[in-house]
Amino acid sequence: MSKYAIETKNLKIYYADNEIIKGINLKIPENTIFALMGPSGCGKSTLLRAFNRLLELNKDARIEGEVLIFGKNIYADDVNPISIRREIGMVFQYPNPFPHLAIYDNVAIGLKLNHLVRNKEEMDKRVRWALEKSSLWDEVKDRLREYPASLSGGQKQRLVIARALALKPKILLMDEPTANIDPLGTKNIEKLLFELKRDYTIILVTHEPAQAARISDYVGFLYLGKLIEVGLTKDIFEKPKSELTEKYVTGVLV
Amino acid sequence: MPLFPFFLRYFRRKKNEDTLHFKNIKRIDTLKVITSPAIIFVLLLFVWMLTVYFYNALPAFIREGLEVYFRNTWQAAEEASKEYYGLAAPIWGTIYTSIIAILIALPISIADSVFVVDYAPKKVKNFFIIISDMMAGLPTIIYGIWGAFVLVPFLQKYVMMPLYKHLSFIPIFSSPPITGYSYFSAGILLGIMVTPFASAIIREAYQMVPFTYREATLSLGLTRYEATKILLGYIKPAIFSGAILAFGRAVGETVAVSLVIGNTFNLSIGLFAPGYTISSLIANQFGNAFIYKHMLPALYAGGLALFIIGLIVNVVGLYLLKRWQKNVEI
Repeated sequence: MSKYAIETKNLKIYYADNEIIKGINLKIPENTIFALMGPSGCGKSTLLRAFNRLLELNKDARIEGEVLIFGKNIYADDVNPISIRREIGMVFQYPNPFPHLAIYDNVAIGLKLNHLVRNKEEMDKRVRWALEKSSLWDEVKDRLREYPASLSGGQKQRLVIARALALKPKILLMDEPTANIDPLGTKNIEKLLFELKRDYTIILVTHEPAQAARISDYVGFLYLGKLIEVGLTKDIFEKPKSELTEKYVTGVLV
Repeated sequence: MPLFPFFLRYFRRKKNEDTLHFKNIKRIDTLKVITSPAIIFVLLLFVWMLTVYFYNALPAFIREGLEVYFRNTWQAAEEASKEYYGLAAPIWGTIYTSIIAILIALPISIADSVFVVDYAPKKVKNFFIIISDMMAGLPTIIYGIWGAFVLVPFLQKYVMMPLYKHLSFIPIFSSPPITGYSYFSAGILLGIMVTPFASAIIREAYQMVPFTYREATLSLGLTRYEATKILLGYIKPAIFSGAILAFGRAVGETVAVSLVIGNTFNLSIGLFAPGYTISSLIANQFGNAFIYKHMLPALYAGGLALFIIGLIVNVVGLYLLKRWQKNVEI
């Protein structure tokens, strides 16, 4: 087992004939928050979706190179994308709990359909565990049968995190999870991510350098499909090697 | 003339609307004056029709009371006092055949929508949609003739006969399919006819499911089948309203049904028995209704029943669809 949660080797992604990701080599250590930052349209979300093979939803997307998850190439011929996705949770830019399922069922659905629990009791326990883990339990324990429409944006996003955690993944992919959340909700989620990194490897895509500086351990700066600079968050923000990075973190380059 | 100033005020331009760039703009909005009669015309037509139906059906209600809807007797007699008209059989036939139609149309249109949206290659996709929409617009007599000469004999020989032979102990299969013209044939034909309508609505809804929910289902490690099930649950209200609107169309369909249902005053649960529907009854009997004294009001009463069923069904269906569309918008 490799000590890296995710490792990419010369990863290239094309949409039709456009090269979106231009050969990326990246190593993400376990149990850290790795922030992937860059301006809009630089390919952050695309790169993130290569890590759980969600990119395949788009028929035009084509991938070259390797992505190793704990040392295993997930693009090898004998790998089933479904089993990969079970081990990698994902949280999206728009808080998207299923609006037609109750709060409880939103967390339970993945477990139920993947047959990961044997009975109702176990299910209750796991749902509670996931909601506690995403620090939402106290706020929703009395209304588990209500629909997510009654939750605030931040609560919805934590419900989505609970939905992902319920499957006990090893890695959490987060695609700008606070982009549509108010400041208080953002603060709560950032606090939560900080706690979660003890057990999970978190890849956080963000377009806010400040957020990356606040919570991440490592930062990668992505610009026009190229990884300009990777390193410890402190180093990147205090003494960036590249001029581009410096411009970006100081807010000159948007 | 207290009304006149009101109209003038209504047709006057609102302040600041279009007036910024023109100095000598007219105070009356001519386009508004020209277009508004259209909507008044539609409204008037609606009220007018409802009134006409009610007014003309009234003699039947006075003579027979509500029994005109609940009794299964259709007695046309030369002597006016012996005439009696009860619409129970056609009303039953209308509802029964429409339900069969929905039971057939719904699974096909759901499957069709999932295939067209999720699986069909782009080029074929548009072709399927065009064909489907075109089928919805075909003159119904085309379905009727095909139904009477091709579908009914086929169903009688290969479906009804075997079912009757082996399963006639089940009440719905207990009537002998003598001619093949039956509730069953009418229901199947209607099902084929309303499938394009139902699939148009369901397909649109399925296409409107925000991409982020598709991603969410797959990110949970679900198979395509499980993911599709969740997404279909998400558009359930739209599926429901598609079914209701298709039901509305099936209820109103006339010519094609009258060619395959057998036109018999029959009140049976047996699928293979011939029957009647309100619309086919009106179409068949209208020609000789004038000979009898009391038949016309009874036909109007049937028309009124259809009017009301259609009204309720469409209002409910459209309401549900609108409400769902509002919920989907992020």
